[in-house]
Amino acid sequence: MTEEKLFDAMQEAVVSGDKLRARSLAEEALGLGIDPARIMEKGYIPGIQKVGDLWEQGEYFLPELITSAACMKEAMEVLRPALLQGGRAASPEGAVVIGTVEGDIHDIGKNLVASMLQANGFEVHDLGADVKLERFISEAEEKRAEIICLSALLTTTMLNQKRLIGLLADKGLRDRYGVLVGGAPVTRAWAEQIGADGFGANAPDAVRAAKAIAADVKKRREHVERDPR
Amino acid sequence: MTSPLLELAARRVVLLDGAMGTQLFQKGLSPGDPPELWNADRPDEIRSVHAAYFEAGADAVLTNSFGGTPIKLASHGLEDRAAELNRAAAEIAVSVRPPGRFVGGSLGPTGRFLAPQGECTESQLEETYSVQARALAEGGVDFLLIETQYDLREALCALRAARKTGHPVFTTLTFNSFPRGYFTIMGDGVAASLSALEKAGASAVGANCTLDSKDMASLVAEMRAATPLPLIAQANSGQPQIGDGGVTYAQSVEDYVSHIPRMAAAGANIIGGCCGTDPDTIRRMAEILKIPAAGRE
Repeated sequence: MTEEKLFDAMQEAVVSGDKLRARSLAEEALGLGIDPARIMEKGYIPGIQKVGDLWEQGEYFLPELITSAACMKEAMEVLRPALLQGGRAASPEGAVVIGTVEGDIHDIGKNLVASMLQANGFEVHDLGADVKLERFISEAEEKRAEIICLSALLTTTMLNQKRLIGLLADKGLRDRYGVLVGGAPVTRAWAEQIGADGFGANAPDAVRAAKAIAADVKKRREHVERDPR
Repeated sequence: MTSPLLELAARRVVLLDGAMGTQLFQKGLSPGDPPELWNADRPDEIRSVHAAYFEAGADAVLTNSFGGTPIKLASHGLEDRAAELNRAAAEIAVSVRPPGRFVGGSLGPTGRFLAPQGECTESQLEETYSVQARALAEGGVDFLLIETQYDLREALCALRAARKTGHPVFTTLTFNSFPRGYFTIMGDGVAASLSALEKAGASAVGANCTLDSKDMASLVAEMRAATPLPLIAQANSGQPQIGDGGVTYAQSVEDYVSHIPRMAAAGANIIGGCCGTDPDTIRRMAEILKIPAAGRE
């Protein structure tokens, strides 16, 4: 198969949710000596982006998103060692810590956002559900994450999204991290009201927001390093 | 299957109650705690919520057992108390049920996904709903309401389990508005879902949660075209908003109830509230729907 055809087949495997094919195509491409970063960029990422588009058009629903994200995971498992060996970042978009806030055990939406972020080139540290606010921050520090992603499904627990932003400010770390919020009761107005950096109405929307935030945080940090004032 | 409640629904609109969780948070339930625990620890608080809804004019109230499947309770380490907490939920509601009024056992989703998206099997789901349905029936409910289901397959597992009690079983799915119309998050469409539930033996079907009363009235028209069964509609009071005074919902009571006549005209037979509604909302709905006071029928 030509390189072009391989890339098309990868995209098709992700869009149709064929996990076995997603994996075998990655193996085949590596065997042909194609650069693993190029495989991701030209083959798989366009596939998961197409899945996001199909969701937004109302053609795809949760089951398709979950299955396509699993295809990306299969491909990544094959490509990651090759990426690392070549000194390339396995997750070029940046790192996130993600969890459902303290007092809230709902994790369906959070899990989906986590796998879609991973599928779209983020290094994802999933802290689970009912996560203490302090832990989001300590893990973000330890994992050198760019973004803290907070999910809440209850109107009572979404207040913890606001508290986390306050806690970051108290520690003098507010500028260091981007905060992305989501969950069934969470709206753009709420995100703006509490001073979050972004809001995900659904998983593909969260990916889009995370990319913008990560780029912004990296820029901010570069600036701080050059100009320590 | 027929029952006094279904006979009533054939004559006039039956009014259900409104939200339970919000009422309990106001009474001091901590956000992380399962509301079902109060069936054992603070039964008087639960009783007073049910009593307020009956007083407001509800024909039927739903038990405080939304998260009462053993699978869901396991998140709190309470799976072994499922039978006890569900039976208590039913007994508490039954203890304040006026003559001629009804108690429905509430069964909410497990929060898990069936394979291949998740790890659950259909037999596991059927088993967990069986435990809950049996206990609610033992506690004396008049019917069972499987509600807020986002996956038709899970709803069908619950329905099979609940029907074993011999009680009438009602089922509501949660539909979202997507670019191509109303679907569950799993992609189940309205007509296909309702006819599958009808075929599986549901006594009444419908929708609850997520949509506000305006959208719900439109959805009712679509549902009416899909099934001859009695139709249930329980709308949210819009999207939640947090202000200085706590959580409020986008729809005012006036706006919320203004769409109730359209919901009834479109063919809803059993109408109640969902998130953001309270006894006052139900009282206003009772006036609009001209629900006679308990014992006056």
